[in-house]
Amino acid sequence: MKRTLPQSLALYAGLAVIVLLIGLPFWWVMSGSIKLPREIISRVPTMVPQSFTLQHFEKLLQSTDFPAYLVNSLLVALFSTVFTIALALPTAYAFFRMKFPGRAALYRLILVAYAFPTVVVLIPIYGLFARFGLIDTRASLVIVNIAFALPFSIWMMRSFLASVPRDIEEAAIVDGAPPRVILLRIMAPLIAPGIASVAIFTFIASWTEYLFASVLIVSDARRTIPVGFAGIIGQYQIDWGLLLAGATLATIPVVILFAFVGRWFVTGLTEGAVK
Amino acid sequence: MAGLSLQGVKKRFGHTEVITGVDLSIADGEFVVFVGPSGCGKSTLLRMIAGLETVSDGRIEIGGRDVTNADPAKRGIAMVFQTYALYPHMSVAANMGFPLEMAGLPQPEIDAKVAEAAKILHLEPFLKRKPRELSGGQRQRVAIGRAIVRKPDVFLFDEPLSNLDAELRVQMRIEIARLHQQLKSTMIYVTHDQVEAMTLASRIVVLKAGRIEQVGAPLDLYENPDNMFVAGFIGSPRMNFVPVTVVSQGDGFAVVAAAEVGLREVSVAVRGEPPVVGTRGVLGVRPEHFASGGDACFEGTVSVVERLGGLTYVHASLSDKSALTVESRDPRGFDLGTTRRFAFDPRRAFLFDGTGQRL
Repeated sequence: MKRTLPQSLALYAGLAVIVLLIGLPFWWVMSGSIKLPREIISRVPTMVPQSFTLQHFEKLLQSTDFPAYLVNSLLVALFSTVFTIALALPTAYAFFRMKFPGRAALYRLILVAYAFPTVVVLIPIYGLFARFGLIDTRASLVIVNIAFALPFSIWMMRSFLASVPRDIEEAAIVDGAPPRVILLRIMAPLIAPGIASVAIFTFIASWTEYLFASVLIVSDARRTIPVGFAGIIGQYQIDWGLLLAGATLATIPVVILFAFVGRWFVTGLTEGAVK
Repeated sequence: MAGLSLQGVKKRFGHTEVITGVDLSIADGEFVVFVGPSGCGKSTLLRMIAGLETVSDGRIEIGGRDVTNADPAKRGIAMVFQTYALYPHMSVAANMGFPLEMAGLPQPEIDAKVAEAAKILHLEPFLKRKPRELSGGQRQRVAIGRAIVRKPDVFLFDEPLSNLDAELRVQMRIEIARLHQQLKSTMIYVTHDQVEAMTLASRIVVLKAGRIEQVGAPLDLYENPDNMFVAGFIGSPRMNFVPVTVVSQGDGFAVVAAAEVGLREVSVAVRGEPPVVGTRGVLGVRPEHFASGGDACFEGTVSVVERLGGLTYVHASLSDKSALTVESRDPRGFDLGTTRRFAFDPRRAFLFDGTGQRL
């Protein structure tokens, strides 16, 4: 279908609005992180930085615990992501392919995990973790992140598994592949976009998780970025430059993640398999 | 290599019986084609032999071994799917080597067997490619290659050519026939295309509604069908059926007539006891058994003429509303709307009773 000129203009205008809406805050944060403090708080805001400095980054990395927060956040997010995928994939496959009593009911039941506000489960989880000696460990955050990401990930992966033609699986069965091999060697590569989606979802959810990180972690050295950041915002004053530099650095791992797994977001992965 | 036998095999989905008791024995090296209309259960039966569907009742043996409940991989079968079912993320060589890898063969041996199969199927230049970089015919050859590397006892083909265009289908049909001659393995082939069935099979199994209608060599089914279903299914274009009445009978023949369609008394051979006079029946005449001259003829009005060059198909309607298809080598003399006589060879006509069984 060919677009007329007014249609094209409207389309591009709409796109421009969306780009501005999403991009502007990013631009504001990143450009602000290299401005001198007086420009950041100047009465007339500047869209294009009039000054340039790396002093905020210097201060952030040298005189705060930000590097430790960054490492903690990376560890927590990476382990949460890896374990979520490792658990969601076989679970989704079992729900998808294996026949066992109560399968349908159990499958619906796992979504009940999202029925409660997180605050409600916070206290019992705290009590549970206290008993197991998990308070103030990064492992406790990994467990919580997995628990919250898993139900959605299972649902998502199951629908991706359902999109793989049945014939491919049956061909593998006839070829003598056991279920574990079918899942890892045949199905997993074919649902790479689904695995990538789950990875991004889990990573970002873990990266930005605040509530549990603020309650379960006690010592400063084990804090993650969202909680550690809150400490930068002082009671009486806010170092805006520091905050903006921290926010800029905090987005970098996510950007890298997208660049890394983005290539799996390709359609037509099963092209050539059937038909 | 091995033969195969099905004994009282049934398949139920819930309360619906889709295979209603099949007994069949297939000799070593035979090329058997399951043919029938959609939903007749031919694919289900094949999948039961493959072990992809459970058997509700009965017994399946391959090479004298009971495999009714065996794993697909332990049955000594290989299957070629309608949709090829290649592993899209693996190269052609990896696709073909996969079953051998699963069998635990060492890599050099796998490579050697894949190379051998690739040679048979002319796939050598494509071994490093991914399935998406191949044409439909090449993909189907890879699927066949994946089957032959294992040297299975029985090859199963589930409508393997129905995704290919007409020209390629003819080509692949010849290749499969050549492959059978070369490998001499037992092959079971499912199709709804009776031309594929006729050209490939050493024996055809005609199925309808989960039941075997007739089993026999292609020409046996063509020349000696047991019932109207088989008579209509085998042969293209399909056989003409015209209602008739038995007017007299003798030893091994019946004289039938249908005055309203211009058919005067004509004698037709019957296989068993001749029918009693006055019986209503159906006369079956193949389009290719019409020829000018002779007394046996129908009177019909020409409605459509298809001139294919060498052959011409004339579609006519009879006065009792039944349709007639007539094959002719002479394209001339069939004017639309004209009523004319279509003479046929009564020695090649079949008589069926009211239930469709051959008399």
